[in-house]
Amino acid sequence: MGFFDKLAKWLGLKKKDANVIVVGLDNSGKTTIINHLKPKETKSHDIVPTIGFTVEKFTSSALSITAFDMSGQGRYRNLWEHYYTECQGIIFVIDSSDKLRMVVAKEELDQLLNHPKITNRRIPVLFFANKMDVREAISSVKVSSLLQLEQIENMKNKPWHICASNALTGEGLMEGVEWISDQLRDIIDGGK
Amino acid sequence: MHMLRRDKKEEEEGGGNPFHNLEKSVVLQETRLFNETPINPKKCGHILTKLLYLINQGESIGTTEATEAFFAMTKLFQAKDPVLRRLVYLGIKEMSKIANDVIIVTSSLMKDMTGKDDQFRGPAIRALCSITDNTMLQSIERYMKQAIVDKNHAVSSAALVSSLHLSKGSQDVIKRWVNEAQEAVSSDNIMVQYHALGLLYHIRKYDRLAVTKLVSKFSKHSLKSPYAYCLLIRIASKLMEEEGAGTDSPMFDFIENCLRHKSEIVIYEAAHAIVNLKNTTAKELSSAVPVLQLFCSSPKPTLRFAAIRTLNKVAMKHPSVVSSCNLELENLITDTNRSIATLAITTLLKTGSESSVDRLMKQISSFMNEISDEFKIVVVQAIQSLCLKFPRKHNVLMNFLSSMLRDEGGFDYKKAIVESVITIIEENPEAKEAGLGHLCEFIEDCEHTVLATKILHLLGREGPRTPTPSKYIRFIYNRVILENAAVRAAAVTALAKFGAHCEELLPSCSVLLERCLLDTDDEVRDRATFYVDVLKQKQKALNSAYILNGLQVSVVGLERALHNYTLEPSEAPFDLKTVPLDTQPVSEQKVREPGDSVSKATDKVVASTQDIYAERLAAVPEFSNLGSLFKSSSLPVELTESETEYMVQCVKHCFGRYMVFQFDCTNTLNDQVLENVTVHMDPAEGFDVMKYVQCPSLPYNKPGTTYTMVRLPEDPTQVTGTFSCTLKFIVKDCDPNTGEADDDGYEDEYVLEDVEVTVADHVQRVIKPNFGGAWEEIGPENELEDTFALSTVKSLEEAVKNIIQFMGMQPCERSDKVQEGKSSHSLFLSGVYRGGHDALVRAKLAMSDSGVTMQLTVRSTDPYVSEVLVTAIG
Repeated sequence: MGFFDKLAKWLGLKKKDANVIVVGLDNSGKTTIINHLKPKETKSHDIVPTIGFTVEKFTSSALSITAFDMSGQGRYRNLWEHYYTECQGIIFVIDSSDKLRMVVAKEELDQLLNHPKITNRRIPVLFFANKMDVREAISSVKVSSLLQLEQIENMKNKPWHICASNALTGEGLMEGVEWISDQLRDIIDGGK
Repeated sequence: MHMLRRDKKEEEEGGGNPFHNLEKSVVLQETRLFNETPINPKKCGHILTKLLYLINQGESIGTTEATEAFFAMTKLFQAKDPVLRRLVYLGIKEMSKIANDVIIVTSSLMKDMTGKDDQFRGPAIRALCSITDNTMLQSIERYMKQAIVDKNHAVSSAALVSSLHLSKGSQDVIKRWVNEAQEAVSSDNIMVQYHALGLLYHIRKYDRLAVTKLVSKFSKHSLKSPYAYCLLIRIASKLMEEEGAGTDSPMFDFIENCLRHKSEIVIYEAAHAIVNLKNTTAKELSSAVPVLQLFCSSPKPTLRFAAIRTLNKVAMKHPSVVSSCNLELENLITDTNRSIATLAITTLLKTGSESSVDRLMKQISSFMNEISDEFKIVVVQAIQSLCLKFPRKHNVLMNFLSSMLRDEGGFDYKKAIVESVITIIEENPEAKEAGLGHLCEFIEDCEHTVLATKILHLLGREGPRTPTPSKYIRFIYNRVILENAAVRAAAVTALAKFGAHCEELLPSCSVLLERCLLDTDDEVRDRATFYVDVLKQKQKALNSAYILNGLQVSVVGLERALHNYTLEPSEAPFDLKTVPLDTQPVSEQKVREPGDSVSKATDKVVASTQDIYAERLAAVPEFSNLGSLFKSSSLPVELTESETEYMVQCVKHCFGRYMVFQFDCTNTLNDQVLENVTVHMDPAEGFDVMKYVQCPSLPYNKPGTTYTMVRLPEDPTQVTGTFSCTLKFIVKDCDPNTGEADDDGYEDEYVLEDVEVTVADHVQRVIKPNFGGAWEEIGPENELEDTFALSTVKSLEEAVKNIIQFMGMQPCERSDKVQEGKSSHSLFLSGVYRGGHDALVRAKLAMSDSGVTMQLTVRSTDPYVSEVLVTAIG
């Protein structure tokens, strides 16, 4: 790190970095959410199913966030764990119009939280109840009760937040991102 | 920082290579650093370089470790550093085959490939193709198509070349990209055009018509890229070779036109193609050689080298054409580049006249020490062919070869010399003694066991027949005293051969052999004991059977027979007669091409075609009780015209009392499926058809095999006949695309050409190194003699060729070669007749006004065999 970088950081001009991992079932809107958060010039127009993962960078008001956008397709889900170690936050995206697969999402969430690299760490988890614009979408409260977020043992040590979102218009995204960046900043500053 | 400094220190200590002392486990440990955030591009790049270095050094990394390192590496996609990113691409390519789940980087690479940063796009495409398998190809297809027609040349080239690699696994998908490739051919970048043409050709290479169209299209509409031209020339010449086209073909016109292209590389490629065409004559060469001649005086060494190398090859076949370049070649002898000079001299040796040999040999010896082994071998080959061309010069050349033998040199070089000397000895009887003498001297100080044993074997074979065999004994016995076990064993065998062949040397050979009885090595001792005992018997028959003649069975067959014997132990001793005999390669005694002797480095035991047939026949349950296969006819006989509806080839397999005809059939109609295919045979008199083994189904273009088994006649003298054959089958129509056949079909038949069974089908070639001994050994008991007038043959060579073909026997003592200018010749043939009867034939030929007269004498261990063989000619 160069001298100017250090200076900028000391002066608080440069934003701090944080790593988050974006997971969720396939077709829940992970890549679309990240795409919306990206700076204008790097946005892509067509979103195709992710194979493997991509790394994206975006900024919130307080942090510069590096997001590992993971593929949600069934056969790649077991590859998420390779990226657990260095993540400081988790964004879990749920398709709120897909009631049928809510149990699958719950199962994946349980597996994620039970993972040895996650379970004992105090990591903020942000839930996006995405696709709120779709007619048959259910409310964020209903989603949280379907996922039994209140009851999960492993969630006790983790701050979490759920918000309804529409990744196409960007509605609800900023609220969630501001929440997680606040949490992350606390952790980063607290760790020092 | 601290670590870097330490690395630097190690660097200085380690001398040139900073990665010299890398530990695999340490480097793999270090790759964990990739997981840290923020990423330090410099450090990570250094570690990745080390990892790449290890992989390229051939270090093998286990799947789990590799996968761990691979996933750590994927995290480097966070960093924007261009150097690091390109190292990551390299890492992905190297590890794509050893790590699991490499598919994880697909989206990341796709992002780079469609991104704005041009310097990432090409490499990302190449990396992407290395991790993509057939199932994933669909999802990247759209992007690949776009990349092929991309404006950026590097991207387009990368996409084209990657498509080429992908086409190995999934030809079908790549075929759909033909429009994009076509568009890329018209690019104005020379590399893109070249790569696009390459892809187009690969997509169409199985469709000859399309390739022809491709060539004719692009040969008219001029391409910009010289590389594309070179490729087009190669395609055209390959096409000509496949079609067997002559100079009247439009392809040839195109190639010839390229001789006038403005780019040197194209001109050379065209000349090279013309020179290498299969049946070039002096006429076609006349256009190519002047071009090469011009290149010989080019200031560029690469051009001079390419030209002289090609001319050197031409000179082997058409020395007269190249002799017009002699002036240029003379100038090149003094070229500062030794490779060029060597090639120039060896070319001159081939084109030059007998008188210039001495001068050129002097020239060569002046710089022999300065050239590499590889070129020394070229010189050796040139000398060998020269020696065959001018037999009278063998003295000069042989001396030169022997001085080369004494010089320093690697194994390949020494081997080439020894093989050349052996070839010269075999071809030129006058050179024999001098050659053997040189070889004897060589083995006095020879570090290569293989060569020493080879020479000892040669001495054992040729030495006893020279005027003074005794002078070789000393050299051979020296080996017994001085060398390692393998050479000692070979020397013992050679000694025994001298003893068996020359009466007067027998006592001294016996004494020498007895001294070997206490050798430290088992093999040497065993051999010595065996030979001493055999020689003590003083029986000619034993000598020739166990000392002079080697093992005549096929090694692969023997191995299989012994294996079977050990599997089913029986009271009866193992019978060597049941083992199939070794098929003598027909070309065995032909003049070897000078280049051949070097390339035939694999002295491994290879399964002959007959062994392969035997295995296939053994797999058919119907033939399990026929006994062992005696002989299979060497070349399949075509029973149909080529390009007909059905193609059938026949191979004859001869067993003790039966003959099996193997019919390899191919159905060339794509709208038909044949079922229950058999070949119905109308047997000649005395033969009985016993069984048909049908081919259940014969779909389009998939060869199938049906067999017909015939019992041979009881009368042992009746062995030949003509069989008329008919292909019988049930036809079912089918859909050409899916291959699905209709349910009902109808019977049909197809008349084939006749199959001929000749005497040669019953005889296996076996070489007898000592024909005279074998002749005496069989004795005159079953001798038959007859005289024939061969009025249709015009020369002795033709007669010899025909007799060998009729008899199917092996010529011995090099009697298949008729010396020029002689009016009489003796031909010695040996073989084994069906049932294991040895048979020898002596044919005395004399040229007369009305043709060739032949006195044929046959000896064999069975009276009927003699009778059959005498009737073979006629």
